[in-house]
Formats: sequence, C-alpha cells, structure tokens
Amino acid sequence: MKLYLSLILLLPLLGGVINAVVGRQLPRRVSELLACGVIWGAFAASLPAFFCYSGPVRIELFSWLAAFDFVAPVALYLDPLSLVMVVMITFVCALIHTYSVGYMADEEDSVRYFALLNLFVFAMLTLVLAENLPLLYLGWEGVGFCSYALIGFWYRDEKNATAGRKAFIVTRVGDTAFGIAIVWLFQLTGTVSITQINGMGSHIPMGTITVIGLLLLGGAMGKSAQMPLMVWLPDAMAGPTPVSALIHAATMVTAGVYLLARMFPLIGPSADATAAIAVTGGITAFYAATCALAQRDLKRALAYSTISQIGYMMLGVGAGAITAATFHLLVHAFFKALLFMGAGCIIAAAHHEQDIFRMGGLNKRIPATFWTFLIGGACLAGLPLTGGFFSKDSILAAVWLKGGGLYGGLYLLALLTAFLTSIYTFRMIYLVFGGADTTLSHCMGDHPCKVPGIMEWTLVPLALLGLFGGILNLPAYLGHGWLNTLFAPLTGGEGAEASHSLEITMQAIAGVIALAGLAVAHYRYGGERRAERLRAARESSGWVEFFLNGWRFDDLYRFLFIRPYEALSRFFWERMDEGLIDGSLDRLAALLGKSGEGLGNWTCGRVSVYILSFAAGATILLAYLALVL
Amino acid sequence: MIVPLIHVLILAGIIFVMGLACAVAWRSNLIMLLIGIEIMLNAAMLAFVGGGAHWGLLDGQVFSLIIMALTSAEVSLALSLVVYLHRRRRTVNADEFREMKG
Repeated sequence: MKLYLSLILLLPLLGGVINAVVGRQLPRRVSELLACGVIWGAFAASLPAFFCYSGPVRIELFSWLAAFDFVAPVALYLDPLSLVMVVMITFVCALIHTYSVGYMADEEDSVRYFALLNLFVFAMLTLVLAENLPLLYLGWEGVGFCSYALIGFWYRDEKNATAGRKAFIVTRVGDTAFGIAIVWLFQLTGTVSITQINGMGSHIPMGTITVIGLLLLGGAMGKSAQMPLMVWLPDAMAGPTPVSALIHAATMVTAGVYLLARMFPLIGPSADATAAIAVTGGITAFYAATCALAQRDLKRALAYSTISQIGYMMLGVGAGAITAATFHLLVHAFFKALLFMGAGCIIAAAHHEQDIFRMGGLNKRIPATFWTFLIGGACLAGLPLTGGFFSKDSILAAVWLKGGGLYGGLYLLALLTAFLTSIYTFRMIYLVFGGADTTLSHCMGDHPCKVPGIMEWTLVPLALLGLFGGILNLPAYLGHGWLNTLFAPLTGGEGAEASHSLEITMQAIAGVIALAGLAVAHYRYGGERRAERLRAARESSGWVEFFLNGWRFDDLYRFLFIRPYEALSRFFWERMDEGLIDGSLDRLAALLGKSGEGLGNWTCGRVSVYILSFAAGATILLAYLALVL
Repeated sequence: MIVPLIHVLILAGIIFVMGLACAVAWRSNLIMLLIGIEIMLNAAMLAFVGGGAHWGLLDGQVFSLIIMALTSAEVSLALSLVVYLHRRRRTVNADEFREMKG
C-alpha cells in the first residue's frame, strides 16, 4: 500500500519536474507523452490501492516539520473518502491530460502548460491524501498557485493575467481563515494530525468548535467559490478550456467540500456551524443558477453551473450527509469535466467563438460532441435515471430528512434551484446545437468545423460514467448503495434512513421538477422560438443585465473594497509618502540650501572689503576688551 | 633700563596702527598692502624685543629673529606672486583677483 500511495504522489511530481526543468529540450511528443503517462501511471497505481483497500491506513513517508511539540511529517492517510477522491482525480485528470494534447496542439508553450498541469495533480493528491493539516495546506496552496498560473496561462493578454490575480487574491482571503483555524487547532489540541484532531472534538467547548467550523468554512468558501467569495470563478474561465475542466470544475474547486467533509467529525456536532455551511451552500446554489440563466458566454454559463453544483455539495455537508455530498462530488466531476471538454470541442469547432447566441446547428457538424454534451447536460439538469439525478436527489433527501424550518426552507430553495438548473442547461443546449445551420460566418467554406479525434474520444468514458454514475450509490429500494457501504465507518457517512415510499416520492418530485425545467426551456428556446429569443437578446433588459453580471457582485466589491483600498493607497502614496515624508525632506533640503546660499553671498571676493571688515572687527574687539578690563 | 616697557609698547602700538592704517588706506593696492603688513610685523617684533629686555629673557629675542626670517621669506614669496600677477593681468589692484570667491 505504501508503494502504491508513494507512486500516486511521486509520478505526477516527477512528470512536472522533468517537464519544467528539461521539457524544452525534449521533443514535443515526448513531453506530452511524459505528462500524460505519469498521470495514467498514477491512475494505474490507484487501482491496486483501491482493490486492496481493507481499512483506513496511515503511512508516514518521512519527517517534514518537527520543532518541540509541533510535528508534521509527510504522512498519508487513506480512508474511504480519500480513496474515492484519489481514484476520481487520477482518472479525470488523466483523461483531461490526454484531451489537452489535442486542445493545445497549436500552442507554442505546451511544456509550461503540461508541467503546471502535472504539478497541479501532485498538489491536489497531496491535499487529498494528507494526514495532517500543514501538509493539506501545502497541497491547498499548491493547487491555488497552479490555478493562478494556468488561469493566466496566456498572460500576454492583460485580461487573462488580471483574472489569474483575481483568483489568487480572492482565494487568499479564504486561505487566511483556514490558516488561522490550523494554528488555533494546534493550540487547542497540541497536534496537527487530522485523525487525532477529529477524535478530540469532545474535549473542545462547543462555541470554539463553531468558530473553527466557520473559519474552515471561510477557507472552503474561497477555494470552492461559495458566497461571498465566488467572484473569481467566472473570471477564471480566461484559462485554456481543459484547465477550466480540470481545475475549475472537476477537482480543485471541490477541495473546500472535501476539507469540510474531512473535518466533519470535528465540526459536525456544532449545529450552528453545519447550519452556516448549509445556508452558504443553499444560497450559493440559487445565486449561481440565476446567474447562469442569463449568461451569453458558454464557459461562463458552465462556471456558474459549477458554483451552483458545489453549493449543492456544501448543502449536503451542512445537512450532515457526507456520503451524499461525496456522491454528488464524484458524479459532478465526471459530468462537469465532460461538459467543459465538450465546450472545448464546441469552441474549437466554432473557431474560438464562445457566445452561445452566435452558435447554432452544431449538432450536425459535431455529432459525437453533441451526444456526449447532451448526456452531460442531462446529468447536470438531473433528468431521471442519470447519475446527476441520483446524486442530487440524495442531497435533497438528506436536507429534507434533517427537518426543521431552516432545512425545510433550504429544501424548497434547492428544489427551485434544480428547476432553474434544468432551464439554463437546456437553454444552453438549445442555443448551441438547436436552430438552423450555424450563423457563424467564419465557420463556412474552406474552414470546415473539425475537432481532433483525441478530444472527442475522451468524452465517451466520462459520458458513460456520468450517465451510469447512479450505480455508485443506488437508492435503498433498488438495492444496496455501494458508497453507503464504503462510507459507513465514517462519521456522518451513514446514509439517512428514509422509508422507501418517501424516497420514491422525493425522487419523483425531483424528476418532475427537472422535466418541468426541460419543458420550460423547450417552450422558450425550442424550434421556431429560438430565433425570437435571439432577436430579443439584442436589446437587454435590466434583469438580464443584473444576472449576466452575477448580481453585480463585482461592482459591489469594487465599491466596498477596491475603491476604498485604492483611495487609501492613493492617500498613503500621494499624501503620506510623496506629500508628507518626501515633502518635508525636500522642504528641509531646500531650506538648508537657501541658507547656505545666503551665507555664501556674504563673500564678495574683494580683498579690500575683507581687510576693512577685519580692521573694524579688530577695533570692536579691542574696544570691548578695553571697556571690560 | 632707560626706556620703560610701557613706552616701548606704546611705540609698538603706534607703529602697528600706522601699518594697519597703511593697509586700510591703500587696501586695493597689493604692494601697499604688503608694506602695511611688514610695518605691523615690525611693530609686533618691537613689542617682543621690549618684553624680552624688560624681563631679561631670551624668548623675545628668539621670537624676533624667527619673525625676521619669516618676514623675509614671506616678502620674497609675496613679491614674486605680485610680479607674476602683474605680468598676467597688468595690474596690482587686489580687487581684480576675485575668481576664487566662494
């Protein structure tokens, strides 16, 4: 087991380092092969780890930090949660690496891209496998850095570099809260080992646990783009599309959910902390769904849907349903990676056009992408019997079973969000694929729409996994949930016990809601009415603008934080530094210069004057002496 | 001692003031300046000699000898400078030489 886990971690690191150091000397094919090979290797190593798994394992590789009581070795911890995460991450990442070979075929600087991608996988796996909080934080910051570098991959364009910086700075806000929580936990428990801290929850006062839970939630908000730190994710779409698929949809942004699930034994007993998590998730899910309704950019619409789906996962964690949240996390990773990679194919086929209002009729040109994208959309919308349907429903059921006014309200909000999700998903699909043949003028004639085969083929396994992802955790009336069995030993892992009839009723409600969304989307965007919508979209109304700009949160933050900050820094720069400090020094120097010049004017250079004044001075001196003596 | 010290000092004072007056009166003429300085130095020498004679010590005489040597050196140097400056500028007016004004 130690060998497998070491290989899982070391292979991506090896690939990243080799590509970063000597990648430019290697032929392009070799560096691409290396980058993909190490990730497939890590996936291959995760399979025996998966099949040999019999119980939680703690493996200490070597000592990392040790000073007095503070001991943080490089230690790995494999339990059901990290196990399924590792298998999912290595598999999805391997597919996306392969896809990137096709997507980045025309890119000059592919070595930097693949090195960063490999490093990202290494950091993510470190985060997931870490046994102690400092190591987890190392991976946490590692994925943050790789995300920053990859969002700004095309850094020569000012806009992309700004988006990268924005992501880095906004997530730093959350990371600070997380860092405080780590130090505080060490101060309280004298250890940073996650398993030991989770076991000590009963010795810590409930109020403290609540505050620590809120701090951890703050970290998760930053990384998982939850309210109010969600503004970076839509802008993060400036990066290459596979990066969006890998980092900003499938893996990294779920790190916050993973962290909360990991620390759930500690924070779970605090009703206030879990309620805060659930409310954050529920509101974010609703917020992002409304924003996604109005987006024109294909990738931004998908980004908002990601925020919304992660909101569901947070809601699941807040409801104490770790299994349901992880189930949704896995299925979401499959279908969201699929959707983003499909979007990459669409964008490639449409010659880098991302506006869905200018697409159309693409289903005949790229049928393979169309069908896989349709499957991904069905999963996202939660159409009955897809993977997304089962996973979303298990979260909804957990929230419903939690009972009480708060969770009842959140359940209704989540249902409304599911309805909106279905609408915006099919709006997107109708706009992109429906309608008459393409309106893209530059997509005609001698530039046929073509997508590299390697890109379309990687969609198929993801589509199958998304479509049949429900088998991972079938509801109780259809048999036994596999994830439920696996997660049973975890705190909060036991699935909520609902009677079969209640479960069937809830799934029926969720199914009807999703189908209703599909019907609304069909009514608004299907067939002839699609053209009407396109015409209507030319003049935008106030509400559409409001949702398009993400409830104007960017403007709000610009008003609340950026403007005052800029005014303050301008004050310190112009008034304090240049005005007060530089000014006073300049004034002093000018004064000394002036007085020196004034004294200098006394010398005229005429010897006669000197003699006269010398004589006069001597006379005065003598007269004084004569008078005194 | 026939001449009392106070008379010597008064004479030295008078000579000194005359030298100073010479320097002040012809203050723009380099040669007259040098002459005035010489007179003042001689007055100082006279005071030294008078003092030495009064207290019966040799210090005053030693000093007057040193001043003689110093004056001769100074005058030779200063006069050569004056000759040089006169050659360059065709003038001995002290106020003409003010290039080194600070």
